Amino acid sequence: MEYEIPEDLKYTETHEWIKIDGDVGTIGITDYAQHQLGDIVFVEFPDIGVVFEKGSNVCEIESVKAVGDLILPLSGEIIEINERLEESPGLINSSPYNEGWIIKIKINHQNEIKTLLTSEQYKNILERESN
Amino acid sequence: MYPISEPKKTPLYDVHVKLGAKMVNFAGFLMPVQYESIIKEHEAVRTSAGVFDISHMGEFLLEGEDVFDFLQYMMINDLNLLEPLKGQYSCMCYENGTVVDDMVYYEEKPNRFRMIVNAANIEKDLKWLNDHIGDRDVKITNLSSSRCRLAFQGPKSDEMLQKIVDVNLGEINRFYFRHCHIKEIPIFLARTGYTGERGFEMSFDNEHAETVWQELLDLGAKPAGLGARDSLRLEACYSLYGHEISDSITPVEAGLSWLVKPKEGIDYIGKEVLLKQKEEGTERILVGLNLLDRGIIRENYKIFKDGKEIGYVTSGGYSPTLKKTIGLGLIKTEFSQVGTKIDIEIRNKLLKGVIVPIPFYRNV
Repeated sequence: MEYEIPEDLKYTETHEWIKIDGDVGTIGITDYAQHQLGDIVFVEFPDIGVVFEKGSNVCEIESVKAVGDLILPLSGEIIEINERLEESPGLINSSPYNEGWIIKIKINHQNEIKTLLTSEQYKNILERESN
Repeated sequence: MYPISEPKKTPLYDVHVKLGAKMVNFAGFLMPVQYESIIKEHEAVRTSAGVFDISHMGEFLLEGEDVFDFLQYMMINDLNLLEPLKGQYSCMCYENGTVVDDMVYYEEKPNRFRMIVNAANIEKDLKWLNDHIGDRDVKITNLSSSRCRLAFQGPKSDEMLQKIVDVNLGEINRFYFRHCHIKEIPIFLARTGYTGERGFEMSFDNEHAETVWQELLDLGAKPAGLGARDSLRLEACYSLYGHEISDSITPVEAGLSWLVKPKEGIDYIGKEVLLKQKEEGTERILVGLNLLDRGIIRENYKIFKDGKEIGYVTSGGYSPTLKKTIGLGLIKTEFSQVGTKIDIEIRNKLLKGVIVPIPFYRNV
């Protein structure tokens, strides 16, 4: 099974992706994660303005059969949520890296970025998980 | 340490894998949860037609001169409502009125019945039936692993199936069945189903599994998995054993009071308790649920009223047809009136909900 893993993004072992633009990070779940979850039917967003530490469980993503957690890749303040997901949570399945983005944060500690995985490193993790 | 048996495969296992299905262990069988998307498969059944592999379910043949009377004793429904070529939904109950299993059985002849039971209860049902035969002339043959069973459901199922079957489907009313043929393959075909749409359920010998499956797909039907089967039956508010009915829930509590028949002069297991419940009511009852806050209702979530726990969710999920979350719950009868505001505990938060009429959807 070939999963999409865009090269210009950073990743976590818990299957989140983050796009970094200065001190703004856009975050979602990977193609692999949406496939594992199945049809997504509900997203429970965090409140805007709240500051979370890296590794916090900030979002609950519910599919027909399962509930998954969005774990924050970097510490930061929630500055935006993707309101389109309230009406169309399935965008996470059909477009996990574009229209299915979930939250945006103001990154608090730039030095945490080095803990993230490259697309190549994330690809290796997926290969290991499937063996 | 006793051996844990490997999950079993239906005759169509390889076909499901080739179609890219996500397989899970359900009731000891490797079954397809979805092929493409639970929601897309659900929608295909509501708008066109879907095919389900239901070979994991049990199929028994009951034969003998005393079969009719035997089943009248074992079943809460009344076999006098049957005739040859007709089937009936029923429960078998314990003396205390709780449910052994629910099933559909079909009268082929007064001394020959075909029964379809839940996969999880095959062994239990066989034992329960055999243990009660006594010295009656009844023989039970277990056909579960020698026959393939499919459900073909959806508004287009009639027009599609008519193209390949050698009976006039328009003559088969709901709950009636025929023995017929698809490409000379003998098929037991019943107008029954678990989706809330018009459709059919069929059984035939294993050797024809892939042929018949492919014939149905060639008609334009979509393969549909257990995920869609569950969301469809939830919208239609059909009971699922272990959820709405179980060995601790009676049919009256589950809203199936209509199944409990007076059967005057005929004794059946659970009769006394069930007729009493039917007459006097029960302390708890099944209701339909919607959320007023955002979220998804799921089984086992607790239900509260004014801070007091009054029940729990038996089944819940997302309804693709209604585009919102729906659920069924067992709650104290005093709070069961439609329109009652209740709270549902979802991951340590109390979300506002309301009791709504059921079923959520039927198109039979």
